[in-house]
Amino acid sequence: MSNLSLSAQTPFRRALGEPSVLIGATLLLLLVALAVFAPWLAPHGPNEQDLLSTLLPPAWAHGGDRSFPLGTDALGQCILSRLIYSTRVTVIIALTAPLGAALLGCALALIAGYRGGRIEWAILRMVDLWMSFPAIVLALVLMVALSPGLLNVIIAIILVDWTRFCRVIRADVVVLRRKDYVAAARITGASHWQVVMKDIVPGITPTLVSLISLEMGISVVAESILSFVGMSVEPHVPTWGVMIADGLKSVFSSPWGLIAPVACTVLTVLATTCLGDGLRRTSDPRLFNRSGS
Amino acid sequence: MSTLWRILWRVPMLLFLAAIVFLVLRVLPADPMGMLLPPSATPADVKALTEALGLDKPIPMQFGIWLGHALHGDLGRTMQSGQAVTPLILKALPVTLQLIFCGLVLGVIFGIGGGLLAFRYRGTRIERAVEVINSISISVPEFLWAILLILGVGIGLQWLPFLGQLDANLTVQPVTGFLLIDAIVAGDLAAWWSGVKHLALPSFALSLGIAPPLMRILHSSLLEAYTEDYIAAARLRGLSENRILVRHALKNAALPTVSMLGIQASTVIGGTLLMETIFGFPGIGSLMVNAIGANDLPMIQGLALTYAVAVQAVNMATDAALLLLNPRLRTP
Amino acid sequence: MSPAHAIPWKPDLLQVPPVQTQPSGVALLEAIGLTVSAPGSPERPQVLRDVSFTLRAGATLGLVGESGAGKSMLGRTLARHLPEGFSVDAGTLRFGGEDLLGMPADDHRRLLRARIAFIPQEPTTALNPVLTIGQQLQEHLLHLGVAKDEWRERATEMLAEVRIHEPAQVLDKYAFQLSGGMCQRVMIAMAFAGDPQLVVSDEATTALDASTQAHIVKLIRSLQQRRGTGVIFVTHDLGLAAHACDELVVLYAGEMAERGPAKRIFTRSLHPYTQALQRANPHLTGARRLLFSLPGQMPGISDFSSLKGCRFQPRCAVATDTCTPHVPAMREVLPEHHVRCVHGASAPEPLLAADASDATLLHAPRMSEAPFLQVEGLSKTYTPRGWLRRGTSMHAVKDVSLSIAPGEFVGIVGESGSGKSSLARLVMGLETPSEGRILLNGKALVARAEDWERRIASIQMIFQDARSALNPRRRVQSLVTQSMESRPHLHSDRKARARELVGDVGLAPDMLARFPSQMSGGQRQRVNIGRALCDLPQLLVADEIVSGLDVSVQAQILNLLLRIRREHKISLLLISHDLAVVRYLCSRVLVMHRGVVVESGETEAVFANPTHAYTKSLLAAAPPRDLQVRWPA
Repeated sequence: MSNLSLSAQTPFRRALGEPSVLIGATLLLLLVALAVFAPWLAPHGPNEQDLLSTLLPPAWAHGGDRSFPLGTDALGQCILSRLIYSTRVTVIIALTAPLGAALLGCALALIAGYRGGRIEWAILRMVDLWMSFPAIVLALVLMVALSPGLLNVIIAIILVDWTRFCRVIRADVVVLRRKDYVAAARITGASHWQVVMKDIVPGITPTLVSLISLEMGISVVAESILSFVGMSVEPHVPTWGVMIADGLKSVFSSPWGLIAPVACTVLTVLATTCLGDGLRRTSDPRLFNRSGS
Repeated sequence: MSTLWRILWRVPMLLFLAAIVFLVLRVLPADPMGMLLPPSATPADVKALTEALGLDKPIPMQFGIWLGHALHGDLGRTMQSGQAVTPLILKALPVTLQLIFCGLVLGVIFGIGGGLLAFRYRGTRIERAVEVINSISISVPEFLWAILLILGVGIGLQWLPFLGQLDANLTVQPVTGFLLIDAIVAGDLAAWWSGVKHLALPSFALSLGIAPPLMRILHSSLLEAYTEDYIAAARLRGLSENRILVRHALKNAALPTVSMLGIQASTVIGGTLLMETIFGFPGIGSLMVNAIGANDLPMIQGLALTYAVAVQAVNMATDAALLLLNPRLRTP
Repeated sequence: MSPAHAIPWKPDLLQVPPVQTQPSGVALLEAIGLTVSAPGSPERPQVLRDVSFTLRAGATLGLVGESGAGKSMLGRTLARHLPEGFSVDAGTLRFGGEDLLGMPADDHRRLLRARIAFIPQEPTTALNPVLTIGQQLQEHLLHLGVAKDEWRERATEMLAEVRIHEPAQVLDKYAFQLSGGMCQRVMIAMAFAGDPQLVVSDEATTALDASTQAHIVKLIRSLQQRRGTGVIFVTHDLGLAAHACDELVVLYAGEMAERGPAKRIFTRSLHPYTQALQRANPHLTGARRLLFSLPGQMPGISDFSSLKGCRFQPRCAVATDTCTPHVPAMREVLPEHHVRCVHGASAPEPLLAADASDATLLHAPRMSEAPFLQVEGLSKTYTPRGWLRRGTSMHAVKDVSLSIAPGEFVGIVGESGSGKSSLARLVMGLETPSEGRILLNGKALVARAEDWERRIASIQMIFQDARSALNPRRRVQSLVTQSMESRPHLHSDRKARARELVGDVGLAPDMLARFPSQMSGGQRQRVNIGRALCDLPQLLVADEIVSGLDVSVQAQILNLLLRIRREHKISLLLISHDLAVVRYLCSRVLVMHRGVVVESGETEAVFANPTHAYTKSLLAAAPPRDLQVRWPA
């Protein structure tokens, strides 16, 4: 049958064939490269202030200085350098927060969906409760309680976004649990743990992977929002959100201080959305159900 | 009876919500006093403030006291100015509500309109174009949209204003608190028009946050409904395509769309926080940002609770709408 | 009850192209050389090829074929709603003299509204779930021209005509509150509402219980006789079609294999395929003989282009050299009886396949009489949970007792809701009983971990839906040996065992590397059976395992089970609604109704001389093989 080749490809190879996945993944890898090689790529230190050259326009504009390619901000700090160093915070958050939220959300979703009954009811009510606060408000309240810092930002994002994972994955788990092959696994002697690991988890993996990629974009945005309000990382760490907030203040004198970080944030989120959409499409479970009819 | 309960079960939840807010702010910070006092405070100052705020009593008792006051409408006094919290919130609330309403309405129009458009022209390039626009919109968070709109429409094209609720030289007597209504009540058309212009950019930015998911879910629900047997059966009875769409498909596609709308309402409510900051609206969002900057615990608490109540109210409305639309939920 | 035509039609609203009410005998629907093709390259495969028939007013035409034969394609062509990329390549379709395929879309839609009606296969999903029955009936009636203040009365009459109790109340109900049979009656009412000239019943009875099926056929018949409607009856059940139809067309892979008077085709089929179908069908009455299973399966669309000549030739037991490369023409070899076969009216007796000639398969091996499994007083009650404890408890199974000896095949028959599936799950241990106990090899089974091991070592289950019972991400090799995973084992042992099992169930070794999605329904069910056999249990519990399969594939699976009994001496607890299948396989049978066993005993005795009224009704609901007997009664 002609479908032999389709299913024989591993999901990984299939994913690489999808253009959105390639675009998204490439952009994100670029981001990681910038973060790792920041000290060599940036012309200046991120917090180097030159109070004689504040609010300079980019190098190609009138009045610009070649040593500050994108100009400077209100404190004379090089915008390009700050942009590049900000990728570090972005990458750390984009890599850790989604995984943490996924772990917490998945674990609770598996317990709720598989066990059912009172436990499921309790976990669902907890999720409802949690989601009663707008995400921004909850994140801000948590940051007030935890005080600014990179680790706390990650914790706050995990504590806010796990509910999204929990709800979606739980719905998937409930569908899978009812399938006959789960019952079949039980009667061939598999323990509950084996059933979960071998039959349920592979079924939720496509959704999970897609959600994690989307969450990367969401956590980057969350951090920007927190920076914007001034409740993000420690004061001397540059992030795009802080740059946006500063840039907004001096938008009339030097719009480039605002345009650059906005563009970077938008591109990053676009990349993660692209990646997430592409992954979701390649792992569509309907592909597995196509028989030669 | 149980149908009513399905809507009202959220009311007891509010109690739990209040408890969460309270606990998070009391339990987590290592040193609440350190947040409230300048570094030069003496131990006597600390002790005096602790007693004054009742922070030396056990936590459940503190919660009880706070809750008792809250149920009477007294949410304490802000630490910044010593004023009562509740009147401040009530004064700022209508501004936010107005913004939420406009954002929701615009969002629904764009979302539903986009979804119907994409569906009507399914299989053509128009559908693809709408999907692409959608993907891009989803990727850009609302507050960035707001900034982009300011840069482009406000500063670049100078079509619309973007600071405050009204032009600097106009004022309107606050009667209800809702600017547009007050302007009409006062008969001041110039102020009303100015208010509308100032509302345009923030509402538009908010709507861009919720329209894409709505469009997506309506589009996909309609596509899915059309694969169902009852649509084929209706077509076999000779019904016209328009009739099938309106009378059969839409009513079914409305269910997941309304659910999504409920979820998005929470996003809109949260989005107003930033919108107010960026556009300078004196709503509860601005209050919140100030309170956070000053570590004003009573204010933060009161505002968090207000936000939660708003979300629950919208969720209750969504539940009621779903009960009306979906007969399966109505029967026990 | 006032006849339909007493209600005044508003002619200007209808604007149907004028079709005179044809007196019986004149052609209502004529298909001449109809050919429909699917997208593909280099040549488009023809999913319907050279289909011709004539339906007269008041007559019933049966379209018989297995899944994939193209029966529903004809319905879609009539409705002018072919799937994407499909098109009518040749031939004509005339309705009342008008070219159905060439007429303007608006005219065709008006025909669909009033002159041509369809009854769908799945009635519960054919009704809009968020509108009441009344709202949908209202829409249809107003559309037909009934006045606004009269529609309710008319709707209530229609529902009463299709034997729905309390029709006025049903108008306010939703589809999910009605049973499958009731939904189908509503669909029939809607179909006949406009006094159509043609009704197409697309497997309308397939999804229903046997007794409901009989009622529905009777209903359609009576409505048809009263109004002189022509009916096209699409089904896979040849026996049913022989009773319900005047003329039959047997379809195979998109082509007509045979066409002629229904009774004649049933008693004296001419085409080798029709003959094979009849030999593969188990009988409820008459002598018990071995089923002759057709090898392989019907070719799919992708295989059509590689088939030159007769499409049945690869599976035909009496194929000759003249069968390819040219397609045999449809010839009238007996009066009114056409067949597309080189043998014409004199097809030779086929040589029976290897397993079919093995007469010992049918004889149950002589084994110890002592039962190894005893079920005593088993009951299962479902109480509704929730805050308010509302609703009544449901007694799925009430006080059931049975025993099974080694090598014995026991059948449980009943309709949906009888509790037979619950009983199967209780025996397997997927549910815990509310009362009663199960004794395995003398010791009672309790809900403890060690007993679970003991249970699954002796009892295994074959699930109904093979697709959902196989993890789509596992290959066949991993699936059949799944039970080895819970024990330490060698990889080579596992591979060897997989090979053995796959051979046991009649699959080729190259299947081991496949995924479930790459196999047909019959192959998947074999994998299911193979998995259950892995640890050689004493008992297999089979829950409706052949109900979704084609007749020829069903015969293969049934013979496979007999072969397994001969080789491995395994017992079987077969749950089925199909009495003929149970008669073929099982020496003993229990009849269940509403959770209770109403009758039990030796299969032949129970079926030949039933004592309980319910058993009698079940037996009466199956279409009898003797065409002289009037059915439905």
